[in-house]
Amino acid sequence: MKERLMFQNAPHVRQSESVVTMMTDVIVALLPIYLIAFFYHGARSLVLGISGVLFCGLLSVLGAILLREKPAADLTPIITGLIIPLLLPADIPYYVLFSACAVAIFVVKIPFGGTGYNLFNPAAVGFASVAICWPELVFRYPATMQKIEVFGESTVKIAQSPAYSLSLGAIPDQNILDLLLGSAPGPMGATNILVVVACGIFLIVKKAINWIEPVSFILPYSVLCLLFPRIGGSPLEALCYELFSGALIFGAFFMLTEPVTSPKRDFGKLMAGVSSAIVVFLFRYFGKFEMGFASALILMNVFSPIFDSVCENVLHVLRHTDNISASIKAEIAAKKAAKTVSEPVVRPVKKTEEAEIAEVSEEIAEIEAIEVSEEVLEAENETTEETEKEEALAK
Amino acid sequence: MSLFVKGIFLEQKKEPMLTRSTLVMRQEFEYFDCDFPDSAIDELSREQIIELARLAEIVDESDGKMLWEKLEKSPSGENVTLIVDAVDDEPYISSQMSVGIHQPEKLSLGTELCEKVLSPEKVYIAMYRHILDSNFGIPKKIGKYHVKKIGGLYPAESRVHRHLPKGKNSVIIGACAMLHLARAAEESRKMTTCFVTVAGDVVKNPRNVEVPIGTTAEKILELCGLTEEPEAIILGGSMTGRAIFEPENETVGPTTRGVIALSRSYGTYSYTCIGCGRCDHACPKALSVCMMRKFAENGKFDMLEKYDVDMCIGCGACSYVCPSRIDVSATLIKAKKQMELAKKEGNL
Ligand code: SF4
Ligand code: SF4
Repeated sequence: MKERLMFQNAPHVRQSESVVTMMTDVIVALLPIYLIAFFYHGARSLVLGISGVLFCGLLSVLGAILLREKPAADLTPIITGLIIPLLLPADIPYYVLFSACAVAIFVVKIPFGGTGYNLFNPAAVGFASVAICWPELVFRYPATMQKIEVFGESTVKIAQSPAYSLSLGAIPDQNILDLLLGSAPGPMGATNILVVVACGIFLIVKKAINWIEPVSFILPYSVLCLLFPRIGGSPLEALCYELFSGALIFGAFFMLTEPVTSPKRDFGKLMAGVSSAIVVFLFRYFGKFEMGFASALILMNVFSPIFDSVCENVLHVLRHTDNISASIKAEIAAKKAAKTVSEPVVRPVKKTEEAEIAEVSEEIAEIEAIEVSEEVLEAENETTEETEKEEALAK
Repeated sequence: MSLFVKGIFLEQKKEPMLTRSTLVMRQEFEYFDCDFPDSAIDELSREQIIELARLAEIVDESDGKMLWEKLEKSPSGENVTLIVDAVDDEPYISSQMSVGIHQPEKLSLGTELCEKVLSPEKVYIAMYRHILDSNFGIPKKIGKYHVKKIGGLYPAESRVHRHLPKGKNSVIIGACAMLHLARAAEESRKMTTCFVTVAGDVVKNPRNVEVPIGTTAEKILELCGLTEEPEAIILGGSMTGRAIFEPENETVGPTTRGVIALSRSYGTYSYTCIGCGRCDHACPKALSVCMMRKFAENGKFDMLEKYDVDMCIGCGACSYVCPSRIDVSATLIKAKKQMELAKKEGNL
């Protein structure tokens, strides 16, 4: 009996879900999007995906060898390699894709310590870097339903993407149904909104991603678009064009939710979602750059540790106020009991009780003031709101 | 605060153990002599009951203290609520609940005796309700005592007093200790046994057993039979117990709640932390577990203190949910010990 016994730390039962199942879910959710891309753009989209995966995998093994580590069985490079081609047009030359993958793995991931330590979303940085280097290739979308050669220079008809029309302030040529079904020109994987949303919901149901981030991104963004439409026509129409053009929905489900670079708590995720909605909107409204999403995401990644520490500070205060109020209430009760035994006078007891409560609330206010001053200015409003809510609830 | 307090949903797997009656290992019982052998149980005085608990050497299995000391020193009177702890919120473990379900007369007699000592305002028996995979109903009443079902997610034991009005004291006494007290009063029997749940996926005949204190884990497992060689044997609860390597030398004590044999062993570190934040959400104390684990691994004890590591109750919920199978709670507990050492030496 003894030989087979192994050491393990408590707890001895563990959840069946693991990193591997989570990542497999994400990969499975990305496959239907490739099928749609295959339908609209032909075999080249699939070859792009496969080469992205192979290249990213190869690079991360190479990185592990360079760092003299044993290459780990890791699925994250596969996800990165699957996401990057989906953000690019279907006729992108292979060297652009490879550069994006190289930046994602060799600049964003490996130098910081590999999976779990990257500061920025690798796919977003990879995409943003090639968008800066080859904007004429990255933002030139082929019209759908035409044959693109699998290898070599493509000679396809170019169409104006709805995102570009919007940035010019013009109403796109395509109608909204085209956008929903993905027959409008655009990034290879992000055009078919219906499939992307279905895959996102699959991930949410499988608990591979959290619903808070996509929802807290899309809702505030829609509100902003309704309030400040970029194009004429009915606001609802403008909203649909805004939401369904570019890689917005795709990014909200597949890139914003990346666990490593997003905040940890639900409230932090909410803050991150809302603030990235605002930043994306500003980028799109004032910027001339067609795709503000990736840059906004990179910017928000910087803030996620700050959102985390805001949550921690709020909870720190709550934990301590809970303890303080419980102990003081116990004290009050003990005093009350002692007084009722010795001298059955009611009024003075009441007074001391009120005084005590006032003291406690002063103490709480003090702690809050200290905590708030420590926090970064940007997040200040949200924190106080949160504590106020909590206090109201407690009352 | 309660808004943020979360726990984890655990499959309880208590079914075969709770429906089967308790198996008693063959043994010699020990008896004690007392000066008041003939007085009826209803007429025992407060001092006599405490004396009984002392003579019978009863240990309270919920905290490992001697019962007579607890009875003597606990507050009594109007403001006190007596809670009989039969919560058992860890998977497999059901030793306290089985006492309440299969020997209710004894439990209610023991509770009656304790009630006489403490003269509390209210008495209730606390049991854990969240047993979805069991069609076993929890009784509404045991004897004349109301059974309060502690609902919700794991860990529930720390929430036993939550229902109490603020400012009231509570005395928590384990169900097995009540049973032993009743036996002491009825038969003058010493507490020489303890209740242990034997379970796990390689146990042939999982059930609750009553074995003499000091029985080795190997013997207990032999009693219930194994279908195959276990890869891990755990002494204690499945969430908080410890893995043992020498089952022929490890013995059960009064506070041991279970012996669990598992075929599947989860190795240590298999992946890096991906920062998913599930541990933060699982923590019943709303601690920022993910950050604390990083501090603990890098030995940043000052930061750990700022993040309230001393509030951690070591429940293991964070390790349970971690998709990377990181031993989060073990890391934290180790860091806490190191911190205490450093404090003693004056380094912090
Ligand atoms: S072991 Fe500690 S940190 Fe982990 S969930 Fe329990 S209380 Fe929280
Ligand atoms: S649950 Fe595990 S992987 Fe997720 S943040 Fe916590 S320690 Fe990291």
